[in-house]
Amino acid sequence: MDVTAGWYLALGAVLFVIGASGMLLRRNALVMFMSIELMLNAVNLTFVAIGRHTGDLNGQVAVFFVMVVAAAEVVVGLAIMIAVFRRRSSASVDDLAVLNG
Amino acid sequence: MTEISYLAIGPVIALTLGVVLVLLVEVTYKPKVTWLGAIAALSLLAGFALSVAQWIEASDDPIIRFRGMLALDPFAAFGSVVLTVLGAVALLVAWPLIVIQGRRAAEFIALVLLSLTGMILMAGAAHFIMLFLALEVTSISLYVLAGFARDNADSNEASVKYFLLGSFASAVFLYGVALSYAATGSLSLYGAAEFLNENLLLDSASLLAGIGLLIVGLAFKVSAAPFHMWAPDVYQGAASGVSGFMTAGAKVAGFAALARVAVTSYGPYISDWAPAVAVIAAISVVVGTMLAIAQSDIKRMLAYSSIAHAGFILTGLVAGIDGVPYVWFYVVTYAFQVLGAFAVVSVVSGPAGTRSPLTDYAGLAQRAPVLAGSLALLMFSMGGIPLTAGFLSKLYVFREAVDAGYLWLVVVGAVASVAGLFFYLRVIVLMYMNPQSEEGGVGETRVGDPLRVALTAVAVITLAFGIVPGPLLDVVTSALPL
Repeated sequence: MDVTAGWYLALGAVLFVIGASGMLLRRNALVMFMSIELMLNAVNLTFVAIGRHTGDLNGQVAVFFVMVVAAAEVVVGLAIMIAVFRRRSSASVDDLAVLNG
Repeated sequence: MTEISYLAIGPVIALTLGVVLVLLVEVTYKPKVTWLGAIAALSLLAGFALSVAQWIEASDDPIIRFRGMLALDPFAAFGSVVLTVLGAVALLVAWPLIVIQGRRAAEFIALVLLSLTGMILMAGAAHFIMLFLALEVTSISLYVLAGFARDNADSNEASVKYFLLGSFASAVFLYGVALSYAATGSLSLYGAAEFLNENLLLDSASLLAGIGLLIVGLAFKVSAAPFHMWAPDVYQGAASGVSGFMTAGAKVAGFAALARVAVTSYGPYISDWAPAVAVIAAISVVVGTMLAIAQSDIKRMLAYSSIAHAGFILTGLVAGIDGVPYVWFYVVTYAFQVLGAFAVVSVVSGPAGTRSPLTDYAGLAQRAPVLAGSLALLMFSMGGIPLTAGFLSKLYVFREAVDAGYLWLVVVGAVASVAGLFFYLRVIVLMYMNPQSEEGGVGETRVGDPLRVALTAVAVITLAFGIVPGPLLDVVTSALPL
């Protein structure tokens, strides 16, 4: 059986949905953030699969940009979470419910 | 081609230099905060001048620069003119907040300028990867700005919510890009358009899913319902001095990006995406208006009203390329109005404050006629009373939507804007007709010089373009993407 680009796209879609569900269902800010990383990696897989299939380098290069941006996001995100954690000693987003209405 | 068009990135270079200088001067000399402000002002001025130069150059000869990465067209130049002015007014509004930051003032100014560079690039991006980078530069700076007051629990909460939902939106946007790339084989906005113009897709499922996810991702960023849940919390939890900039800047840049992607890349598929945009627009105006009525905190009220305004702006976008000038007209005038409204809030509830109950505004007209007058004008304009820019912008987008055949959307919009008058006028009644209560109405009312300048600028823009819209209309009708 040949493993064609379609398989990779399907795997990417599945990973993306798993990430999105994790983001929506989990309540720990760190786990939610890990889910977002999973979504970004699903996108990366999709990009390389298409790039390989069409022979277009743009798809491969896009992945580097996504990885770098994801790293920058991690830096800011963890800093924000540490600022919250210092005040509350908890990373659960359910505790962050002062602002509502 | 080896020559580099520095003009295409002129404003970005000016602002980035400003960021670097502000930070270097801060660590080297530890100067008074006024000096940092002067550097920021200079870089914004240079950015503005270069944006005008771009406009002059691009209106004759629009072109894509940097191997398909950045457009040097009237659309990008106009976006960059607007954003540099908006940035300058925003810094004036945030000035009291910057002063009380002490040694962290430089970081604050640097973050505002950095997010502006991202916004300018969003308006000019001609390639999806460029657009993604610009979006992230903007968003990451704004996440930090939202939580800049580290010791304030509200700001912490706002920052976490903004960060998690914003990153989620970015990932959704990016998957949309990937799916659209799968369908068209090009990551360039114009390459995709070319492919779609020349080929008839047998199976457009991947493309439509891609466009859908792209629109959802950008709708998150401009806080259109049903992707708006973060907006009220973030705009309330951020310090009052900077909420206005976050609202206004994100709207201008987000709508610029959305408009360019929708009308250039997916122009041939307008009959597929326009109904989706119309539905988002309708939900936004209804949800924004209904929930704004229920608010007792003016920052939350303004946040919900900004959701409703996002819906009105999307109403103009359903007309495709014909609606783009009026999307510009609306988003530009609205950006300054919302900046001004938050400026008044930042005086009454303190520049670093996060809560701003409506009761603070009771009898404000007696204590601070200037503040009350400005806020009343802005409320009239946002509510859409004639002789203000807010009225004309609503009129234009409604006209475009009717021409495009979306009468139902205009009916929804018109009903919502009448209902919206309730909460805008409530603020005015509270300020002018309610006596100051014993425990309420404690807010600060002193207006510093920077704020006075900012409020005057906002009031002039709101009134001038409401009475004489001609000049701005001339400009926006030529500010079209390549």
